Amino acid sequence: MIRIAAVGDVHVDSDVVGRYRPALEELPDRADALLVAGDLTRHGTVDEARCFAQEFGGLAVPVVVVLGNHDHQSDQQDRVAGVLTEAGITVLEGEATVLELHGHRLGIAGVKGFGGGFAGACASNFGEREMKDFVGTTEAISARLADALQSVQVDALVALTHYAPVPETLVGEPLEIYPFLGCYQLGRAIDSAPTALALHGHAHHGSERGRTPGGVPVRNVAHPVIKQAYNVYQLLSEQVDAELVGAG
Amino acid sequence: MSNQLDDYLEAQIQRLLSEDGRVAELGITVQRREHQVVLGGEVESPQRRDEICRRINARFPDVEITCDIGITRAQAPGEVEEIS
Repeated sequence: MIRIAAVGDVHVDSDVVGRYRPALEELPDRADALLVAGDLTRHGTVDEARCFAQEFGGLAVPVVVVLGNHDHQSDQQDRVAGVLTEAGITVLEGEATVLELHGHRLGIAGVKGFGGGFAGACASNFGEREMKDFVGTTEAISARLADALQSVQVDALVALTHYAPVPETLVGEPLEIYPFLGCYQLGRAIDSAPTALALHGHAHHGSERGRTPGGVPVRNVAHPVIKQAYNVYQLLSEQVDAELVGAG
Repeated sequence: MSNQLDDYLEAQIQRLLSEDGRVAELGITVQRREHQVVLGGEVESPQRRDEICRRINARFPDVEITCDIGITRAQAPGEVEEIS
């Protein structure tokens, strides 16, 4: 059994430091790892990244994050990622990381993702250069997620994105902005691997639960959606912990 | 021209809230009810909610604002969801 805590869209700046910490200090009793689904900061500045690292770093469980669109606002995303990495936080963008937890291997593959829309109402790689650049970005990021998911052999595999891979978790948002909230290509990438769970944020007015066409559970963990410091998800429930077997 | 300003008021407020560096909120709903604008959604701190109202007041001093913006709670969860 593995328990992972997850939240997204925490938008940390100096005014938020201290708000999450009491709940985060309880993490070791509640979960084995914390995943944060992007929009860690308000404007993607180095100072805000330091605030995030202060609030979400130095925990007794591993912390794995992807960046969101807010974290790109100041064009300092590489420096933001650097601050987080220095604080011991794993930042994924087209990579996977493997955590050894209770004798199980938990794989987490992450990308920020991008917009583009969903089947029946999606953008096409056609026409103006700007449009082809937009959809080209969607396709490239989604391909990196597929590669990352397929790069690891693990007991449980989690996809972590900021943008949504399915429209079901956007219900509550205006239909007109769905193409700016996610894309079907992320869902297809998630379905290309034995993914156990997909986590995303970005859609503050969306819904919590959905499923990819391939059957992978999807959870929108945007903070305004879950309305608490983090949600906790249990994977491999049917597996007996190796450490318990050892103890027996 | 003043009617045109009214017609595009929600869009102007929405862009102000996302593009103003002191706000940067993309998740605030803006609904117009006659001479009132009702703001909804949630932010991470009371300071951010108050700043939103200040910025709209400064830019559109004749618009009456009703602020229903909440502060997202940040307590630890009490439940675990089993994924299957």
